[in-house]
Amino acid sequence: MARSTFRFGDLRLIAVGLIFVLAWGAIGYKLFRVQGADAAELAQLGFDQRVRHETIQAKRGTIYDRDGLELAVTIHGEALVADPSLVEDPAEAAAILAPIVGADYVELVQRLEADGRFTYIARRLESHTVEEATEAIEAADLAGFSFRSEPLRIYPSGSLAAPVIGITRLDDGTGIEGIESVMDTELGGRPGKRVVERDQAGRAIPQAEFLLEPSVPGSDVVLTLDREIQYAAETALQGGIDRSNALGGSAIVLDVETGEILAMVSLPGFDGSDRTTLDPATLRNRAITDVYEPGSTLKVVTVAGALEEGVVRPDTPFETPQEIEVGEEIYTDHGYNPSVMNVSDIVAQSSNVGTIKIQRQLGNEAHYRYLDAFGLGRPASIDFAGESTGRLDHVTEWNNAAAGPSAAIGYGVGATPLQMAAVYATLANDGEWVEPHVVSEIVDSDGERTVTEPRRHQVVSVDTARTVRTMLRGVVEDGTGFRADIDEFPVGGKTGTSDKFIVETGKYSETETIAWFIGIAPIDDPEIVVAIVLDAPKGTIEGGLYDMKFGGTSAAPIFADIAESTLHQLGVSPTHDSDA
Amino acid sequence: MTAGALPRSAAHHTRTRTHARRRPVVRPLLVFTLAVILAFFAVIYSRISLDRTAFELQRLDREIAVEQERHWDLRVDYARLQSPDLITQRAAALGLVYPEDRRTIEISGMADTVGGPEDRWMDLRALFVEQP
Repeated sequence: MARSTFRFGDLRLIAVGLIFVLAWGAIGYKLFRVQGADAAELAQLGFDQRVRHETIQAKRGTIYDRDGLELAVTIHGEALVADPSLVEDPAEAAAILAPIVGADYVELVQRLEADGRFTYIARRLESHTVEEATEAIEAADLAGFSFRSEPLRIYPSGSLAAPVIGITRLDDGTGIEGIESVMDTELGGRPGKRVVERDQAGRAIPQAEFLLEPSVPGSDVVLTLDREIQYAAETALQGGIDRSNALGGSAIVLDVETGEILAMVSLPGFDGSDRTTLDPATLRNRAITDVYEPGSTLKVVTVAGALEEGVVRPDTPFETPQEIEVGEEIYTDHGYNPSVMNVSDIVAQSSNVGTIKIQRQLGNEAHYRYLDAFGLGRPASIDFAGESTGRLDHVTEWNNAAAGPSAAIGYGVGATPLQMAAVYATLANDGEWVEPHVVSEIVDSDGERTVTEPRRHQVVSVDTARTVRTMLRGVVEDGTGFRADIDEFPVGGKTGTSDKFIVETGKYSETETIAWFIGIAPIDDPEIVVAIVLDAPKGTIEGGLYDMKFGGTSAAPIFADIAESTLHQLGVSPTHDSDA
Repeated sequence: MTAGALPRSAAHHTRTRTHARRRPVVRPLLVFTLAVILAFFAVIYSRISLDRTAFELQRLDREIAVEQERHWDLRVDYARLQSPDLITQRAAALGLVYPEDRRTIEISGMADTVGGPEDRWMDLRALFVEQP
């Protein structure tokens, strides 16, 4: 008996002992694995879980106008996101949130009913909208919604100068058009890096953060644009487009001495802050991308070259029949002109025949040299992405007998409105070509300023430039540009009308034209050049007497409006009696 | 032969010497222990203080970030309110119109004292450069 009890107790003891041994063995084994064999791997796993390498986004620089007013600013924004699998009633949630965030109800319901665990409800939300949406979500106890921080690029002036300023991408904030694109490196700054240790709740553990590389904020870019002049130019151009039913247009206001672009308008435009109505076709800046034949506005280059070379004088007479035949081409004058005109009259009346005769005296070689010196055939500025070079064939390719005469009256040569504005600014600036530019200076995060120094070169003499300016005054006083006249300031300029070249057909349109007016104000002491281009203006004015397709009819009045507003804004004292 | 008792004076002397050798050195040990404990608490306290300071710095950083956001929000609002389009709309709503008849009045001496359009903004531009 005693032996049996002893055996049973011994077995239990052994069993308990074994359990203990196994348990301790297991613990010991685990301890060995954790602290020994797998120690390095597990330590790394833990390190990776709580330590994160994070990128510190650099704040994008601000774009200012010349007076220090914000044209593009980056602020803190939020995106409202949702996990559709957690949203119990998509219709109810959409009904509550759609009006707050400005989303379409039906589209929102579709997004919330879709499979997947992530969808954007709205992006680029400002703080007041975020507060409103947060309150609504809490009040209705909506599950599955949260906010994500994202930089928000704001254009406080809406569509003002939008094609010049451009836009940024929504996801990474890089510039994709306009100054936002050209100055992307400067505006974007440099992102930084840091190592952050976070607790289980994702909060940063103090003293466990290491800054590896600080972010460098983007530089601020100060433009030469003047917001008030820009607004006046946009309003005047839009008015002109409405009056003439044009497809679009562009306007440029240049400071003749400095080459600063005070206003640059391209219509139709867009509002960079409102992506819902963005039409990709409106993104392009017509003033620098669109190439047109400048028509009669280019005659000043022919005349200036001829005067500079001494082959003509302002009073040199030319026989001016209604038409002239060169090679296989016949050139005619619009309307009736006197049979004999001097050079000044030829400019004032915009005579094709007279200008071609002047070009013949100048010769192709010299003519080409002046076209090149005035900046045609190459980008006018380095401040614009996608600026067209225009078209100027080298004189060695002027094989056709009509090439020179055509170029003299603005055909066969392609130019952007900016290039043509620079031509007139050269004449206004006593013959010195100054690179047009829109970036005034770049101010980096340390306050270091980099001021733009435009390129300059003399094209014609001071005397030649002044003589041509006198002729341009005649165009407004007695010629085709009388609608450009302003009461308070003497102005001069040149009208131009060219048949619109249709790229799709490869032929000139029989009905549509490109209407130009480029002028200098005040003509006696030039401050600004204003260039106007209208794409396919239509209709008539004054009871059908005047056709809107001509530059003198449709573009010249726009020049008058813009020039007058600009000179007032610049504080230029009127030199004419306004009561006169 | 057995050892006889030591004379009283010798025994006393020996006892005295033994007692002096075995007496525990309490005070330095106590001081050392206290110093260690104090150092331990000092380290803990300094660590806690550092943590508190770090939390305070974090809070201040967050407040600075919030105030900077507010600053830029206000700048944007200000710029929007200065938008020529908005001003024109508000002016039209108030019934203001462009004058049809304009007359230029020249005030003698003003040309010398009033700067160009740039001068009005010089102070503001300098301020913008100094701001973050």
